[in-house]
Amino acid sequence: MIIKKFLNYILGYLSITVEGYFVERFMNICISKKILLSNIKREKSTILHANIGITDFKEIKQVAKITKSKVKIIDKKGLPFLLKKYKKRKIFAIFLFLVCMTIFISSKFIWNIEITGETEIPQEEILEELKQCGLDIGKYKGSIDIKQIVSEIRLKRDDISWIGIDLEGTNVIVEVVDTREKPEIIDTNEYCNIVSNVEGVITKISVQNGTPLVKEGDMIKKGTVLVQGWMEGKYTGIRYVHASADIEAKVWYSQKAKVYKKQQENIRTGNEETKYTIKLNNFTINLWKTLSKFQNYDTIIESKKIKLFSNFYLPIEIVKNINYETEQQTITYGSEELKEKTQKQLEEKIESELKEGDIINKQINCEETSEYIEIEVIYEVLQNIGTKEKIVF
Amino acid sequence: MTSPKKESRIKKLLEMPREITTNEPKITIVSFQEMLIENYKGVLEYENYYVRVNTYIGIMNINGFNLNLNQISSDDLIITGRITSIEIEEQEE
Repeated sequence: MIIKKFLNYILGYLSITVEGYFVERFMNICISKKILLSNIKREKSTILHANIGITDFKEIKQVAKITKSKVKIIDKKGLPFLLKKYKKRKIFAIFLFLVCMTIFISSKFIWNIEITGETEIPQEEILEELKQCGLDIGKYKGSIDIKQIVSEIRLKRDDISWIGIDLEGTNVIVEVVDTREKPEIIDTNEYCNIVSNVEGVITKISVQNGTPLVKEGDMIKKGTVLVQGWMEGKYTGIRYVHASADIEAKVWYSQKAKVYKKQQENIRTGNEETKYTIKLNNFTINLWKTLSKFQNYDTIIESKKIKLFSNFYLPIEIVKNINYETEQQTITYGSEELKEKTQKQLEEKIESELKEGDIINKQINCEETSEYIEIEVIYEVLQNIGTKEKIVF
Repeated sequence: MTSPKKESRIKKLLEMPREITTNEPKITIVSFQEMLIENYKGVLEYENYYVRVNTYIGIMNINGFNLNLNQISSDDLIITGRITSIEIEEQEE
């Protein structure tokens, strides 16, 4: 029934009243002439309400003449009448058409590039790379060959192991996966030395294969050979082996910092102003004066792309500049407070550097003058050291 | 000419719907609110409370309240409204 109603609406229909003494006859003649009547209601003995199609109205006039009844149009409903109403408003129609066309045309271009994935490569670099390969904001979607771009970038960049490009509406999602440098694993059949990778003092050394060059208590530097990859026998001569050993060493990690008691800091006063600018691709329109009324201020820029649907980005960007007024103030810290603060920072720094090992000692050196404090934090760490290095003949 | 007996036997064999092959009306009533009459001849009388429909084998009288003729075409007729009673006047051939 809904489909029928919809069809009637598209084709258009008239609701009429028929007044006369032979209403039943009127109906029967309509049926025999194949005029579709619907929603017939009898009001009084002489009046009939009905709906008929537009094209049947001419014929109904003839039927009315035969049955000597009057036909009146009460209402005109449907799309044809609506269109007729808007026929005079030509400019409106033209603009509606233009808007539809611009939406349709702009949907054929790329308006946003989104980069996802865990990468340490800055986004600008990836965007630049994509630009060189022919993927850029404002490009026609049909001219982009994703497969070729992907292979081109993978050939160019060694630090990108995988790149995926998805076209979704006017939005491009680029997923990048970095290549991670793996430590070189030396095959057990090949000959190698063990070389120190840190600076420290050896506390324990047990060699399974090879000849040790250092003993417990020795100071070692970065790069010193700890275990040689060959053995010398009285009778066998020099025999090359794949050296392997467990070496434990005391390693010191230190961080130094110098902090002044009097520090100048920019502090926000709480006054702020927001300024909006509209950005059309590369063309900017400032809605306010760009100059700030503050003397010293921080600026935070937020930009938002306008999109119609979830994936249909438009080439319009609204940029919101928020200026916070700042004031330079000199702050004098207490020596204890400052010490604790910097110590914590240094410790965090060391711990982020440290990957493995047991901390056996922590030492804090502090030097205080009236102007500044110098703090050095030293960690003593026991850890396994040594990396394998291939012997090159 | 095939005899009427033979003709009906063929139709039974083919399982043709009777309302298509013959002029006999088919009447469907849905919950006393809607009534569909197929193969009718014409509307004899129509009032708000009374509809008289002519069919090929007789006349039907439908009584009720607020009866509307929802759709009329040359084959079928839909009556909506509260239907209270239906009478059939069989024609003698």
